[in-house]
Amino acid sequence: MICQACGKNTATTHIKTTVNGKLTEIYLCPDCAREQGYAHLFDDWGFSSLMSGLLGAAAPQRQVQKCPSCGQSFEEISRSGKIGCAECYKTFRSQLLPMIQRVHGTARHKGKVPGGSALQVVDTNKQMVAVETSQIDEKKRLLQKAIEAQNFEQAAVLRDEIKELEKKQ
Amino acid sequence: MKWYEKAGPSGDVVCSTRVRLARNLKQYPFPGRAGLEQKEEIKRKVRDALLSGNSILSKEFRFLPLEEMDEETAVSLVERHIVSPEFIADRQGKGVLISEDESVSIMINEEDHLRIQVLREGLSLKEAAETADRLDTLLGETLAFAFDPEFGYLTQCPTNLGTGMRASFMLHLPALQESGAMARISANLSKLGLTLRGTYGEGTKVSGAMYQLSNQITLGLSENEAIENLSAIAGQLIEEERKLRKQMGRNLVLQDKITRAAGLLGSARVLSTREFMELLSYVRFGAAEGMLQGVTPEELNTLSIHAQPATLMAREKQKLSENQRDVLRAQLARQVCGKIQYTID
Repeated sequence: MICQACGKNTATTHIKTTVNGKLTEIYLCPDCAREQGYAHLFDDWGFSSLMSGLLGAAAPQRQVQKCPSCGQSFEEISRSGKIGCAECYKTFRSQLLPMIQRVHGTARHKGKVPGGSALQVVDTNKQMVAVETSQIDEKKRLLQKAIEAQNFEQAAVLRDEIKELEKKQ
Repeated sequence: MKWYEKAGPSGDVVCSTRVRLARNLKQYPFPGRAGLEQKEEIKRKVRDALLSGNSILSKEFRFLPLEEMDEETAVSLVERHIVSPEFIADRQGKGVLISEDESVSIMINEEDHLRIQVLREGLSLKEAAETADRLDTLLGETLAFAFDPEFGYLTQCPTNLGTGMRASFMLHLPALQESGAMARISANLSKLGLTLRGTYGEGTKVSGAMYQLSNQITLGLSENEAIENLSAIAGQLIEEERKLRKQMGRNLVLQDKITRAAGLLGSARVLSTREFMELLSYVRFGAAEGMLQGVTPEELNTLSIHAQPATLMAREKQKLSENQRDVLRAQLARQVCGKIQYTID
């Protein structure tokens, strides 16, 4: 759809007005819409409002909790779509979580951690599993040794520890 | 030589590759909430981390405070893709670190405390990501970045959480644009977690069939996965564009547009930015398809940046009226395109 005002750009806004029961429709590009005074529409449709719409759904209405570090309230965050500081993510974690999941489809970081390298850490979750497995392997090796040495007390402890680790997986 | 004066792999379609990382200092509020004094401190810390005597990078980077910058220099930074348009709108408490060849830069106090950016000519995402990663690791030795094991690197806008990495290609897609396929492609891309944006990023117009393709999701995907994803989809777009160019290249109407564009750029005395960008797009197309000869991709890349309004003035070191700029732009275009030979029968 081409903008009906300039006839050049792609129309991104569909404006419907009803005056005395008569419906008028016009399709405009962002520039022409702004020129024709529909700028406030964009403020309402802008990204921050989309964000605050998403945040708003999770916003509890009564309590006014403020971030102890920067003083931002959750209301302010949901209005602006901007988080105040790193601490806000802790303070408002439960309120932010559903929105973050909606935006990214998940809320579990995968990738670089400070001090590491993005190109070596392919999958942090997998690496953690790998560490656990090697722990089990090590314990199994020790268990085998304990049995061979007929040290059954130690073997029993190791057996329980292995069971515990396997349960966690 | 600046990075944009070169041409890289798959330069017929991919003009440049960009990787940017969003990072914030743990102990300060994000820029939207930080006071001017805090912003000054952040600026100093980041600058010192990179430029202090014992930093191995101190010789390669220069620091530009934004408050003291004149309008042409600032806008020229946008035209050269070093900073975003929003970055120069309000210049209080902001600064930018730029490497010698302008391929690596760090915006300080944009939407996040740090925006580490690496630009490369042509298709070279792995290399750009490696450079950004190394710089991030190096800065992380002196700066404490805000990080959460679950949410990853913490950013002012939750859409950047996780890796904080946005990777993108600047694609020249004249054939796909001409065929009217862009709206459909754009809609499909968003389903794949990628976005197609205008020439200067979010919320900007497409100029001369230049599109920015970037990853959208930053949480739950590792840097490598996001890169592979983007590369795979970009590869398909590139193939599609090339196939369509081959078909369209036989079309008389398009051949006419290309040769006319080359003729105009090689002879015009006055050229507006808009007209210039449109014509240059056709000349790029023609040169990439071998219909035009006598001009290299490097020359066209350089021209496309040097002929931008603020860069023109910054290079001339004086203020110029729109008219004067249009005359100067035409002169630059003639120098490059005046020697074009036509190889269409």
